[in-house]
Amino acid sequence: MDLSQYAELFLAESREHLSACNQLLLAWERKPASLEPVGGLFRAVHTVKGMAATMGYAAVTDLAHRTENLLDHLRRGAHPATDELLQLLFRARDALEQAVELSVRGRERDLDLSAITAELDRAAARAGGKAGRAAAAREPPPPPIEALAAPGRLVQVVLRAEAPLKGGRALLLLKRAQALGAVHAVSPPPAAFEAEDFDGRLAFRLESAAPADQIRERLRATGDVESVTLPEEEERRAAAPAAAAGAAVEPARSRHLRVDLRRLDGLMDLIGELVTARGRLNELAAERRDPAIDDVTIQISRLTADLQAEIIQARMTPVWQVFDRFPRLVRDLARQLGKQVAFRVEGKEIELDRAILDELGDPLMHLLRNAVDHGIEPPAERRRRGKNPEAEIVLTALRERSSVAISVTDDGRGIDRATILERARRDGLVDPHAEALTDDQLLRVLARPGFSTADAVTNVSGRGVGIDVAVTRLRALGGSIEIRSQPGKGTTFVLRLPVTLAIVRALIASVGRERYALPLTYVAETVELGAAPTTTVEGREAIVLRDRVVPLVYLRQLLGVAGDAPPPRRPIIVLEMGDRRSGVVVDGMLGQQEIVVKGFDAPQGTLPVFSGATIMGDGVPALILDAGGLV
Amino acid sequence: MSHTVLVCDDAIFMRTMISDILAQAGFEVVGEAETGVQAVERYKQLKPDLVTMDIVMPDMGGIDAVREIVKHDPDAKILMCSAMGQQALVVEAIQAGAKDFVVKPFQPSRVLEAVQRVLG
Repeated sequence: MDLSQYAELFLAESREHLSACNQLLLAWERKPASLEPVGGLFRAVHTVKGMAATMGYAAVTDLAHRTENLLDHLRRGAHPATDELLQLLFRARDALEQAVELSVRGRERDLDLSAITAELDRAAARAGGKAGRAAAAREPPPPPIEALAAPGRLVQVVLRAEAPLKGGRALLLLKRAQALGAVHAVSPPPAAFEAEDFDGRLAFRLESAAPADQIRERLRATGDVESVTLPEEEERRAAAPAAAAGAAVEPARSRHLRVDLRRLDGLMDLIGELVTARGRLNELAAERRDPAIDDVTIQISRLTADLQAEIIQARMTPVWQVFDRFPRLVRDLARQLGKQVAFRVEGKEIELDRAILDELGDPLMHLLRNAVDHGIEPPAERRRRGKNPEAEIVLTALRERSSVAISVTDDGRGIDRATILERARRDGLVDPHAEALTDDQLLRVLARPGFSTADAVTNVSGRGVGIDVAVTRLRALGGSIEIRSQPGKGTTFVLRLPVTLAIVRALIASVGRERYALPLTYVAETVELGAAPTTTVEGREAIVLRDRVVPLVYLRQLLGVAGDAPPPRRPIIVLEMGDRRSGVVVDGMLGQQEIVVKGFDAPQGTLPVFSGATIMGDGVPALILDAGGLV
Repeated sequence: MSHTVLVCDDAIFMRTMISDILAQAGFEVVGEAETGVQAVERYKQLKPDLVTMDIVMPDMGGIDAVREIVKHDPDAKILMCSAMGQQALVVEAIQAGAKDFVVKPFQPSRVLEAVQRVLG
C-alpha cells in the first residue's frame, strides 16, 4: 500500500497531538499533583506512536514508545510533577516533533535520538521502582463472580471515539437504562466514569421487558453512542463472524473530513469568480427588465450567497489552533529571561478565516516576545514597585461586529514614552517641539521599520525588527493595530482583523473616472460634504460630527486625480478603526456590493493606501482602499 | 409556543454565544445569570423550560446551583456547559440532576442536539 498519501494527514494529526502535549505539560506544571495531564499525555503520545508505526517511521515509533513507557509509570505511580521530569518531558516532546517533521520529509536518517531515549529509559526505571508498589494498591478489585451471572440481558455499549467527556455520557446512558428496567453488574463500575481515561466502552445487565429495538433506540438517544449490542444481535453476528469482529469497536463514520486547504482556496477562487459573474448578470438583468430573467437572477443570487456562506464557514478555524502554541513559548521565554509570568488565553473558540489565522502566528509571537522581554519587569523590580512578582500576560480574542479583536496585554512597566519621544525627535519623526506622544503617534513611531529602543540586542527580541513587521503583516490582511500603554501599569496591543478575507461587502465610490472599493468593516457612516460645517484642527481640515472632530482626507488630492472640477456637494465616507476616525471625501457613491479580494503587488512608490484589488461586475478592475492607511 | 431558556455563565461572551445559538433556533432566552446564586433566584422567578448552566461560576458553582434548583423543582431541565477535562465534575452534575451536557468549544449543532434531548 502506498502510504505517502497519508503522510500529510499523519503530520497534521501528530502536530495536533504534540501541541496538546505542550498544553498538558504546562497544566501539569501548574498542578504538579494532578494526574489528569499525565493521562492526557499518555494518550496523545500513544496515538502518535500508533500512527507512526502505521506509517513505518521507526524512529518516531521508538521515541514515542519510550516516552509513553515513562508516562505510564508516572501515571500508575501517581507521581507528582518535578522540575526535572517536566524538563525531560518537554524535551522528549520537542524531539518527537522534530522526529515527526523529519520523518515525513524522508530525512529520518538525520535524527539522533540516542541521548533522549537513554534519559527517558533511566527516568522510567526510576519511576517504575516506585510505581511497582503503588500500582498494586491502585489496581481495581476483580469484579465479583455473581455479577457475571446477574439477571437480565447483557447490553454492551460503545461511545463514539470523538465523544467528549465519555464518563458523563456513560452516566446519562445508565440513567436512561434505569428508566427501562433494573440495571446490574455495570462494568467498569460507575466510579470509573469520573476518570479521564475511561475509554467509552461499558457493559451491564438490563432486566427489562422492552424489545431489543426499543432498548437500543432509547439508549442511542443518549447521544454520542457508537453502538449498542444486545443478545439477539450477538447471535446474528455469530453467524457472520467476519462482520462481528470489529463491529463493536470500529469507529463510526466520522462526520468530519479533512480537506487540503488548497482545495478550499481553489473553491473560494471559483466562488469569487461566480460572485463577479453574478454582479454582471444583475446589471444585465436590470437593463433587460424581463421578469423571467429577473426570477432566475434572483435565484442565482441567493444560491451564490448560500454557497459563499457555506464555503466561508468551512474555512473558519478557531483561534486556539494558533494560540495553543503560545503558553509554551511564553513559559520558555520567561524561564530563559528569569521572569515570572502567568499567561492566560481568553476567547480560544473565536473563529477566523484560516488564511488570516495562518498569518497571525508570527505577529502575535512577536508581540508576546516583546511583552515578556521588554514589557514586564524582572521579579525583584516588580517587588520593589509593590507589584506581584509574577507578571500577567493575557492573550484575548474577541468578536466585534464584523471583525475580531485580538489583544496582548501585559501588566509591566509600560512603554517609556520619554525615550521614544527623544528618539523620534532625533530621527525627525515628530515635530522637534512635541512635548508628548499620543498613543497613535507612539504607534507610528514604533512601526517605523527598524525602530528599536532595546539597549542591548538579546536573542529574544530587540534585534531592531520592531513591531513594523507585525504592522505590515496586519495591514496586508486588511487589519489594524493599536497600542495602549500606561507607565508602570502595562501595555496592550490590539490587533483588529476582518473575519474573512476572501469576499467582503464594500462601498463603491468614484473619484474622477476610477472606481474604488472601501470594505464596509470599517465604514461607520456616510455624510455629505457641505452639510456639516468644516473646521481646521491641527492644520487639517475636519468636520465636527456629533461633537467629535473627524479629519478629512480628499481622495482626489491624495491620489492626484486631475481633470474636471469635482461636484460641490460630495459624499464623505466616515471610516472608523478603534477610536480613530477619518472622513474620506469622494466624488460620488455607486452603492454597496460584494467584492472578491485579490492580492495586490503594489508597484514601488504606490501610496500605502491600497490593500488589494477586485474585479467589478463589468470586468474592469478597481482598487480596494485600505482603511488602516486612511485613518 | 417557543421554549423559554435561562442562560447561566459567568462570561458574557459565553452567555452571548449560547443565547445566539438558541435564539437562532427559535428559543426564547428569558434571562441570564452570572453566578450560581443568581441562577437559582432567576429560576424560581422565571420558571424557564430549560436552563444552560456553566459548571464553574463564582459565588455558587453550577453543580450546587443544580442541586438547589432540583430541590425546588425536581423536573427542572438543566443542560450543563462544561470544558474538556471536567469529566468528574460533569459526572457529579448529572448525579445532582442535570439532564445532559455540552462541551466547550460549542458547536451550535451539538448544543441544539443536547437541548432537544433534554426537552424531548
